[in-house]
Amino acid sequence: MTKAPDLVDLDEQVFFEDPALDRAFGVVMALATEVYVLRDRQRALERYLEESGLIDQARLDAEPSDEERFAAAEDRAAFTRGLMVSLLGKQQSKGTA
Amino acid sequence: MDDRSFVAAQDFVLEAKRYWTTEIYPELKADYEARAAQLDIEPETVEDVDALIGHTTLYRFYSWLERHLQRFKYAGRYGLYPYHDERREELVASLPNVEGGGDQLMLNPDLPLPDYYTAVDIHQHPGGVWSDEIAGFVYERGARSTTPLMGKAHSDLHQRFTGFVAGQGNTPSQILDMGCGFGKSTRPFFETFKDARVEAIDLSEPCVRVGALDAASNTNSAVRYRQMDALHTDYDDGEFDLVTSTMLIHELPPPEIDRMFEEAVRVLAPGGHMAHLDFHQVPNAFARFIHYGHARRNNEPYMEPWAEIDPVALLRDKGLTNIKVVPFQEAEGVDPANSSFWRFPWTIVYGEKPST
Repeated sequence: MTKAPDLVDLDEQVFFEDPALDRAFGVVMALATEVYVLRDRQRALERYLEESGLIDQARLDAEPSDEERFAAAEDRAAFTRGLMVSLLGKQQSKGTA
Repeated sequence: MDDRSFVAAQDFVLEAKRYWTTEIYPELKADYEARAAQLDIEPETVEDVDALIGHTTLYRFYSWLERHLQRFKYAGRYGLYPYHDERREELVASLPNVEGGGDQLMLNPDLPLPDYYTAVDIHQHPGGVWSDEIAGFVYERGARSTTPLMGKAHSDLHQRFTGFVAGQGNTPSQILDMGCGFGKSTRPFFETFKDARVEAIDLSEPCVRVGALDAASNTNSAVRYRQMDALHTDYDDGEFDLVTSTMLIHELPPPEIDRMFEEAVRVLAPGGHMAHLDFHQVPNAFARFIHYGHARRNNEPYMEPWAEIDPVALLRDKGLTNIKVVPFQEAEGVDPANSSFWRFPWTIVYGEKPST
């Protein structure tokens, strides 16, 4: 009995015209899985906290005030810029393409 | 990996598979039918269908998801294999370890495993279902969600098959389950035919050990799991009055399929029945295109050649009578003849050995 190898160099099944898309979509699905794992854990945490009387679930679910949204604006902008900046194709270090 | 994260990730992958089954597949089928309707001649071959939709973006995503959702299920960060690997010590310690004899388990460490069996990791199970001592646990957990629409009622499939066998007019007392895996197919037989002696055989040591573990903890039935090649058993001629298999045939190349039926007939008593549940009937070019594509994407190299074999001719050649090759309704509400969602082409192959 042997343990299965972690990664193996074998021919890859490719479904898109550019194999880069095959691999990139794998990254997307891996991230989607991580997001769902986090959602599940957060929901469980909130349920346990409410059962313990430590949070008010209705207050947590309520629409945030303008003040709270404004307070988060800077963080939201930084998050969005970090996500989108690659689309511009700008360079951040000198060198040949 | 904690249990909650594992279950959440597996649930997500299964839900994605369910979406693929119920939303993406119907879109693909509708796209194919619309394109085919423009033709003067109906597509007849897999190549005809491929020419119509093989290049479409929808089919590319359909194919990607079929292959890679299975990869995520087994080998992703939250996959079945890494989850069980982290629990290896505890799982292995729980297994019965009987070598050479025992009430419910008989192993054969010297059994040679055929090349066709070891060459491919079927259904993308890392290391296959045979090479790692935890493989039986991995397979057992994975089989709970093989068909995404069935959910918790998945075992219903095996009970339905046993119900078909029970409805054929005999009550077997000696049953052989070939290619039993970890025993999911075997259980409904020994639960239905309570007085029967049941022998369940498989090439995989890890799988029969899990089968024996399950049997020891849940039943007093006369079932025994043995590590044995279904193509070359050590049973006597005519020892069983029922020989069955579930999802075994499509794992065999054509010469081995022939050999398996040869052996099944040999150990079957005159008047005995044989019943096999597998994937077979793909009645049109689109169904074949989908099924053969599934085989390729899911590491099932013998699925297509099996679907091209005529089981009626094969069983007749082996001397069987009252042969039936019938579509199998795997769950309530499923229409095998016209399913709007993706499903395996479940088929029962049945025959009887003449009494004289």
